[in-house]
Formats: sequence, C-alpha cells, structure tokens
Amino acid sequence: MSLAEIWLFLQQGVLSGMVTGSVYALLAIAVVIIFKTTDVPNFAQGEIFMLGSYVALFLTLVLGWPYLAVIPVTLALVAAVSGLFQRIVMERVLASRGVGVQLVIATLGLAYALKGLVRQTGLGDTPRSLPPLAPTDAVVIGDAVLTRLDLVIFAVAVGAMLLLWLMFGHTRVGKAMRAVGMNPKAARLAGVNLARIRALVWSLSGLISAVAALLITPKILITPDIGHIAILAYAAAIVGGISSLPGAVAGGFVIGVAENLVGLFISTNAIVVAPFVAIMVVLLLRPQGLLGGRLQVKKV
Amino acid sequence: MKHFRRHAAAVLCALAFGAQAQNEPGITGKTIRIGLFAPLSGSGMAYGFDVLNAARMWYDKVNREGGVNGRRIELVIEDDRCNANDLVAAVKKLAEQDKVFLLNGGSCSAAVVAAREYVEREKVPLVMLNASGDGALYPPSPYIYGAFSISQHAVGGSMVQFAAERLKAKKIGYINHDDAYGGWNLEAARAQAAHLGGVDLQVQSVNPNITDVTAPMLKIRAANPDVLLLTTYARPAALIIKKAHELGWSKPIVLAVNGTADLKQLVENVGAKDAFKNVYIQDVLADLPGSPKLRWVYDMYREAYPDLAAKPGHPQTYMPYGIPPAMAVVNALRAAGPEPTRAKVLQALESMKFDSGVMAGPIEFGPRDRAAQEAAIYIKFDGTNMTLVPGAFKSVWQYKQ
Repeated sequence: MSLAEIWLFLQQGVLSGMVTGSVYALLAIAVVIIFKTTDVPNFAQGEIFMLGSYVALFLTLVLGWPYLAVIPVTLALVAAVSGLFQRIVMERVLASRGVGVQLVIATLGLAYALKGLVRQTGLGDTPRSLPPLAPTDAVVIGDAVLTRLDLVIFAVAVGAMLLLWLMFGHTRVGKAMRAVGMNPKAARLAGVNLARIRALVWSLSGLISAVAALLITPKILITPDIGHIAILAYAAAIVGGISSLPGAVAGGFVIGVAENLVGLFISTNAIVVAPFVAIMVVLLLRPQGLLGGRLQVKKV
Repeated sequence: MKHFRRHAAAVLCALAFGAQAQNEPGITGKTIRIGLFAPLSGSGMAYGFDVLNAARMWYDKVNREGGVNGRRIELVIEDDRCNANDLVAAVKKLAEQDKVFLLNGGSCSAAVVAAREYVEREKVPLVMLNASGDGALYPPSPYIYGAFSISQHAVGGSMVQFAAERLKAKKIGYINHDDAYGGWNLEAARAQAAHLGGVDLQVQSVNPNITDVTAPMLKIRAANPDVLLLTTYARPAALIIKKAHELGWSKPIVLAVNGTADLKQLVENVGAKDAFKNVYIQDVLADLPGSPKLRWVYDMYREAYPDLAAKPGHPQTYMPYGIPPAMAVVNALRAAGPEPTRAKVLQALESMKFDSGVMAGPIEFGPRDRAAQEAAIYIKFDGTNMTLVPGAFKSVWQYKQ
C-alpha cells in the first residue's frame, strides 16, 4: 500500500466513519437514557429504530406524503409508541414487583411484536430505502468524497445531540430525568413523578431513534431484520461508558470510524467484528468505558 | 390349466409390482403426492413465491394432459420463509405427516442446505426449485438434485468468463460475501481465472448484513480493476452500486443473478439512474425475460394466475425458474415407469439431460454432478431498458474430491 493510498484511506475512513458514527451515537444515547433511568437494557432498541424507518416508508411510499409531513408524524408516532409501552407494559411489570429480568423480557417481547407488525404490512418483503433527504451529489473534502446527504446527516445528528445536552442541563424535565437516573428514591421524595419521567424518557428514546432512522434510512436498505444495528448502538454505549451520555456520543464516533479503518487497513471481512473487538479492548483496558467515570462499588 | 397358471403368475407379478409402488410413501393407484415448498412470505418472498407458482402451473398442465403414467400429481404446499428452521420444519412435515413421495422445493440456498442431513437420513428424494444449494449438492448426495437456476459455483465462474471474454478485462474487481455462498462462487471464479490465464482477481469479501460499504468500494477503486463483479445479495449490491456512483466509478459493473430478484426495487434503492450507465446483469434464462423465445412461459403464467398477473410486481423476476425443476420431476417420474419407486426416480435423475427451453444451458446431471445448470447470459441494463449480450458463458468448475 503506497503512502498516498494510506492517506486517502485515512481521510475517507475517518470522514465516512464520522457520518455513520453520528447515527450510532444517537442510537447509543437512546440506549443510555433508558438504561440510566430504569436500569433496563432495552432490547427493542433496534426494532424501535426499524419502526421509525417503516413508518416513514409507509407515509412516503404508500401515502405519498412529502417529507415535511413525514418527519413530524414519524417522530411523534414512534415517540408515542415508546412512551405508551413504558406506561402500559413496563409500569405494570414494575407494579407487580417485576425484577430486571422480567423487564428485559418485556422489551424482547416488544421487539418481536414490532417485527411481526411490520412484516404484516408487506413493506418488509423486499429491502427498501427512503428517498434521500438531501441531494446526493459528491462533495470533495481533501481527497475524500462524501455526499451532501452525508453532511446533512452529520449536521442534524450533531444538532440533535446539542439539543439533548441543552435539555438535560438546562430544563426542568431534563434535570428531573437526570435526578431519576442518579437516585430515584431521592427524586421521588423531591416531588418527581417517577412513572411520568420514565414514560418521558422512553418517548425521548423513541424520538431519538426515529431521528436516527430518518437520517440513515436513505443511505442504507432496511428490512424487518435491520434491528441488528442496535448491536452497534450497544457497542458504542459500552465503549463510551454505559451510563454516560457524552460517552455514548464518543463511542458512536469511535465505532463508526473503527468499522471503516478496520475494513480499509485490515480486511473487509473484519468490519462486522470491529465493534466487538472495540468492546473487548475497552472492557480489558478501561472497564467503565471511555467516559464512564470511576468504578463504583455499590453496597447491597 | 397351463394357461391359467401363466395368467395367474402374470397377475400376481403385476399385483406384486403394484403393491411395491403403492408401498412407497405418497403413491396410490391414481395419485403421486409431491411436497412443494418455497418462501411464500417474508423478506425472501421474491426468491420463491412465483417460482413455486410456475412449478405448480407445470404440474397442473401435466395433470390436464393425463398425469404421469396414469397418475395425477397431487401437491402439498408449504412456506419455508427462506429460513433454515422453517424449511426443515416444512420438509419434516411433508415427509412425516403428509407422506409425500418426493420433495420439490427450496429457493434459498442457505436454508435448503439445512435439510440435507434429514433428507439423506430419511432417503427422500429432494429436487430443489431455484436454490443453488451448493452445500447440499457437493459432495454429491444420492438423494439431492438442484441448481436449476444456476449453481453458486457456476455464478462466479461464468461471470469471470464474461468479464474476460466479452469485456476484455485483465484485472477484475470481485466483491462477494464472506459466507459459504461467497466462498463457493469465489472458488469457481478463481478456477475460471486460472483456466483463462493472465486474469488477476482483486477480491473483497463482505458480510451480508453490511450497512457501510465505503471500505470495500474504496479498496476496489484503489486496485483500479477493468471491471467490478458483484456476487452479493440484492441489499449489499444496491449499496455498492450506490457507493460506486458516489465515488465516481464509471467502469463496468456486472451484477450476479443473486442480486437481481427485483430490478425495479434495485433501481429505486440505488436512487440515481446514472449509476446504471455501465451495468450488466447476469441472467440464467435462455433469452431476455419476456422475449419471444420465453413468451409461452409468461403467457402460461397469465393464464394460470390472471388475478396475480394483474398485480404490480408479478410475475416476479425468478418466476420462469420454477418450470425446469418441475419438468425434471415429471421426466424422472415418467422414466421410473408405471410402478415408480424412489430408487427408480433417483436413478432416472442421475442420468437426466434435457433442454428446458427456459434456461441458458441444458439441464444435465451426472454421477458426480448434481447441479442442473452451469451457464448464464448477460444483459446490459440501464435502469429501464435491457439489451441482450450475445452468447452464453459457462463455468468450467467441476467438483473434485
């Protein structure tokens, strides 16, 4: 491999990786906020993302709606489904003194239900893509080639992350979510309605997943089995520190870039293995993740 | 008395043979029961739904013409969802519950390969539909025949032959899957390149679930081949064609038949029609779909399924592939005579050779050859129009123990 080739691969690998990484980062945030506030790993994360893609596909391809209408309806619908699931199913499991395993199984149930629902529509019979949100003509940055759509994806994803940062740091509801994540008992004593906040967190997670779906679906092809993309979100969350929001963002970018660099410099066969190697390396060298803070010992 | 004894012996012999045939599962004096299966739902439906319909219409035609040696063909149909677990469950149900005489099914290679162990253990003849199923065909099994569309080995070999012979390529970019499917077509592609001599293969193998194809496409572009061959499924193929267009690739791209199940959807998924300026697709039919040579197949479909034919997207691209396997089953049953047994049918299949009038090459088996079809045609496809490239291109790969 010549030096010029190495330089080209580096530029293209990093820039393309940042674009896909920004979407993984959004999905990782969706995983982390639920985990932080409910201690439940949401195994329906990929299917909620898939639901967002198929709602947008249905509105665009079947009903012929323009994006201006598709975007708000998709966001609202997926957020509502997620919030209602927490309110109707998860709260009932909690009320019946359900333990963590039961809650996790409930999320698995949601995953299968959503997949089955989408299969019933017939839209999942063939891999499909959304029309691009922005033109796909090439933009040359250094020696690397991206598209305008890539730049839009990156900008919107980063913009969404900034909004989330503002919300968690500067709004009452954001602070309440953080309080529930840190110490639910204390939050309840301070007057926070735990059930309401948990439903809001699930809705927010659904909303973020729908944003990710709207951004990436024009670039990839989806089937009802696309939920496996959540593995990348989990990888990003673990690499960044499973309870850290900035860590989820960093983890997303690390996974996105690592996938490309491994494919370019090692082997294209190894692309799908790269996230798991990243998890293992991080767990060995820094078990709490890149930005997971100090290891804490809980008294039980 | 002498006459009576001779007649009685003849009658007893006939009864004995008849009894032998009727002892075979799925055979009665008037019917032969066949288990037909394909993906009839789910995301793999495009691979087999209309393929099964085509096989069924051929069996219906045979029944209308009097059946096989006086017996009607009775079909039991199952949905395998293009999935190994569902396919094995369907095969078990057909063999054990419905007691079919033989199995005719499988449109998805990875799924149908999973049935090999069961079929061999139960000694049920399996004639695949359009699955390549190389994993079930090699090493040769006495009970399994397939690759009526084309074997996966032949896919790779034929594509290299086309690229070298027709497109005059010396350096060939090749993207395949990193699974058994990709391994088989690459094995034959390498054999073909070695056979031709002076052909350099630049290979990138990708996972079928890959979502970002930047790395493989960038590496292919850096290798600067004369042509790019894609033997991936439709989803990665669309991503690669899209990425190639984004990266300004203008050399020929040849897409294997594996990725052409729904060309309209492929164009929609790629998004830019310009991406198809220099694209060829592999096909395994005798001529362009819908051409005069194949019109009878499409007419027959329209007549058999008028409601379905009126729907958009039907007949599906692979529909004609269902006819040759049904022809092979009927020919084998005929050759097995009025008292068919599974052993006789398997014997007939092993030496079978006929021109289906549907596929690019003859349907031909041999003692060590279980793949029916090993040639392909190539079509220039600009996103809308198709132009046939003259000639059929055959793979030279042969199974060696």
